[in-house]
Amino acid sequence: MRGLRIVVADDSVLFREGLVRLLEDAGHDVVAAVGDAVLLRSAVAEHEPDLAVVDVRMPPGGTDDGALAAVELRSAWPGTGMLLLSQHVELRHCLPLLGRPGFGYLLKESVLHLDDFDRALRRVADGGVALDPVVVQALVSGQTAPSVVGLSVREREVLALVAQGLSNARIADQLRVSDRTVEAHMRAVFTKFGLPDDGDTNRRVLAVLAFLEANSRP
Amino acid sequence: MRARTVRVCTALAAVVVLATVVVGVATGSTADGLAGVLSLAAVGVGFVVVREQPTSAVGPAMAWCAAAPLTVVLVEALAQSAEGASPPPGASLAQAISVGIWPLNVAGLVALLLVFPDGRRPGWPWRAVPVLLLSATGATVFALWGSRQVGGEVVGAPSGPARVVAVIVGLALVATCVGLGVASVVQTYRHGDERRRLQVRWLALAGVVAAALLVAGWVAEGLGAPLALAYTPHLVAIVVLVPAAVGVAILRHDLFDVDRLLGDTVSALVTAFASAALFGAVVLVTSRAVGATSEVTTVTAAFVTALFLLPVHRWISSVVGAVVDHDRHVAVAGVERFAADVRAGHREPEEVQAVLRTAQRDPGLTLALVRVDGAWVDPQGVEVPEPDGVTVASGGVPIARIHLDHDTARARRRVADLATAAWVPIEVSRLRLGLRGAVAEAEASRARLVEGVAEERVRLERDLHDGAQQQIVATGMRLRRLQRDLDPVLAAEVDTVVADLEETVRELRRLAHGVRPARLDDGLGPALEAVRAASPVPVDLVVGDLPPADETRTVTAYLVVSEAVANALKHARARRIDVEVGSSGDRIAVEVRDDGVGGAPVDGPASLRDRVASVGGQLSVESVAGRGTTVRAVI
Repeated sequence: MRGLRIVVADDSVLFREGLVRLLEDAGHDVVAAVGDAVLLRSAVAEHEPDLAVVDVRMPPGGTDDGALAAVELRSAWPGTGMLLLSQHVELRHCLPLLGRPGFGYLLKESVLHLDDFDRALRRVADGGVALDPVVVQALVSGQTAPSVVGLSVREREVLALVAQGLSNARIADQLRVSDRTVEAHMRAVFTKFGLPDDGDTNRRVLAVLAFLEANSRP
Repeated sequence: MRARTVRVCTALAAVVVLATVVVGVATGSTADGLAGVLSLAAVGVGFVVVREQPTSAVGPAMAWCAAAPLTVVLVEALAQSAEGASPPPGASLAQAISVGIWPLNVAGLVALLLVFPDGRRPGWPWRAVPVLLLSATGATVFALWGSRQVGGEVVGAPSGPARVVAVIVGLALVATCVGLGVASVVQTYRHGDERRRLQVRWLALAGVVAAALLVAGWVAEGLGAPLALAYTPHLVAIVVLVPAAVGVAILRHDLFDVDRLLGDTVSALVTAFASAALFGAVVLVTSRAVGATSEVTTVTAAFVTALFLLPVHRWISSVVGAVVDHDRHVAVAGVERFAADVRAGHREPEEVQAVLRTAQRDPGLTLALVRVDGAWVDPQGVEVPEPDGVTVASGGVPIARIHLDHDTARARRRVADLATAAWVPIEVSRLRLGLRGAVAEAEASRARLVEGVAEERVRLERDLHDGAQQQIVATGMRLRRLQRDLDPVLAAEVDTVVADLEETVRELRRLAHGVRPARLDDGLGPALEAVRAASPVPVDLVVGDLPPADETRTVTAYLVVSEAVANALKHARARRIDVEVGSSGDRIAVEVRDDGVGGAPVDGPASLRDRVASVGGQLSVESVAGRGTTVRAVI
């Protein structure tokens, strides 16, 4: 499998070097490894890589400069995928990109699952999406206003648990309702998203993604 | 009046007085000479007043107060000389009129009463007075024409009905003139400004003393004292005290506290007469009862008088004060009433400045208080530069100062009296100000503390995320690299170790979240969603429009909700929780309702209460057993 050309941006030297080695071990070509958002911008402009792996919190501001730079670079260089890494879910400045092609948001410990991480890298570089389950959960539960597709409060709750990967039985247990009720809610969700009945598992993922898609649209 | 006329009139008076002295010395009449010398005081005052008010008639009137009687004396001296061997020219005429011209004695006094204190002569009635006085003199001269004085006795007084009528008319006219003069003074006092009133009071002070000495003279005469001795004090008062009072009134009306002087003099005199009357009455009654005047009656009278003297004097003082110095009496009474209301809790001591303004009739009056740390502040507690004015002290230490817009010596004396009456409200408002300042300072310091803690939490959370978590992940990555070269058994072991590291990272994240929810970076709404998502029972969360809020307030609102929800789950066994967050003005309003068992303490958990109070918010808890709990906070 062809390696990707990657720019790494993280202000922690320890983490950055560790990540660079891991990526190189996996056969990728790390064209630049930088420690702040300013250098990230110039590195992307210089190398036009397949992918930039970016820490959300970085100098010079030390808050979410990485996220801001990623949003900016994503529209400036459509050929470069953006994968944000963070210590916790902090979505403020990347909401417009969530669920959009060529964008990913993972917690930092995801890098420890080498195979999954590698797949996520390639997916984003190819214009796909990679979201940490925690991010999905935050997004789904984070919609306080009724969504554009008109999910009820209960349906949103069910969908949030689906996004966490829970089965109907576990969801029913947690919400203290019957299995059949959960199934009814899910059917309502599928109907509202207009998802065809072609195998339950697939529909569940599609529902979550459709929901993200609907809510991240400006 | 023209300045030249004023000077000439006064100079004429001086000539008359000096002539009297010369004549007195020449004729060997000690009384006339003495009268002339004493009158120099009045003329001197007249000249001083002329220098102060060059166009006012007060100076000449003052001088003629003394010169007019001396003119009569001179005429009498001239009349005496008619008896001599070679009478000077006009002596016989003088002899003819000398007894009849006595109304001229009061001419100067009436003039002074008319023009006092600044020479204005109001209206036509006062212009008629000179005509009336001359008519009176004419009438008495006509009536007594041909009579003459021999050794103090009037002899050769003619009789007849026409002359009797003329005497009566003359007397009536003189009385009218004096009455009009007094009326003029009263008029001046009534319609005058504060300065004129003060000046009139000086005149009144002298007048009261002179009148009292006249009464004393009558009493002395009645008791058999020689005439010269009995009336000398009265005459001295007329000749010296009245000019002195007029001089002070014109030149330095603010010299002493004439209000108090007048009041005290009048009340002392009234008290003296009252005790004398009491003494006399007791002597009379007891001597009737015992049958004869004895030591017993005297002792009894003295005892009774002594018993009543002090309370009577106090009562008279207050009554006289209310009459003579009505303004001060009313003002002080108003302030005392206010102080009593403050003591009774009906009014706030902070109103003291407004009360003083009203009482002093000085809208520009300002009260400055000495704060506990020694700085000068206004009644609202705002620092001001040290003002000038009347100092109010407590045990010799200044506690306040009253600055007057209308600042005169009299106003200062008045406001000092008012300040004494208002001492308690002034001191209480000062101390309350200090207390409020201390409380505000304590609140501010608590807020700073809480803010410091909030900052510390942000820093701690960042340290956890960027320090410990990063390092653990980096370590995990190194293990993963090592793992590739290991045999499958050891590699499986590394998998376990990496899984442990991941769990540690998650644990650290939870810890950091407990310290300060990182999700607050995305706003209060998303952070509360996380609370809702974590709850095992349904939470209905409604987040309305939120006012812009700083970190501390946002964290506080978040913690109120999360702790209330935690309590509802832990203690109330709630089946459903409703959370509403919105705005109340520019503050965050939080309400958490559950359907649990209720009965929670109404003031809420101490930690929560302190936290809400520290950002100036209010926390209320409504919890009836069996009907759930509602926690409300405005932050």
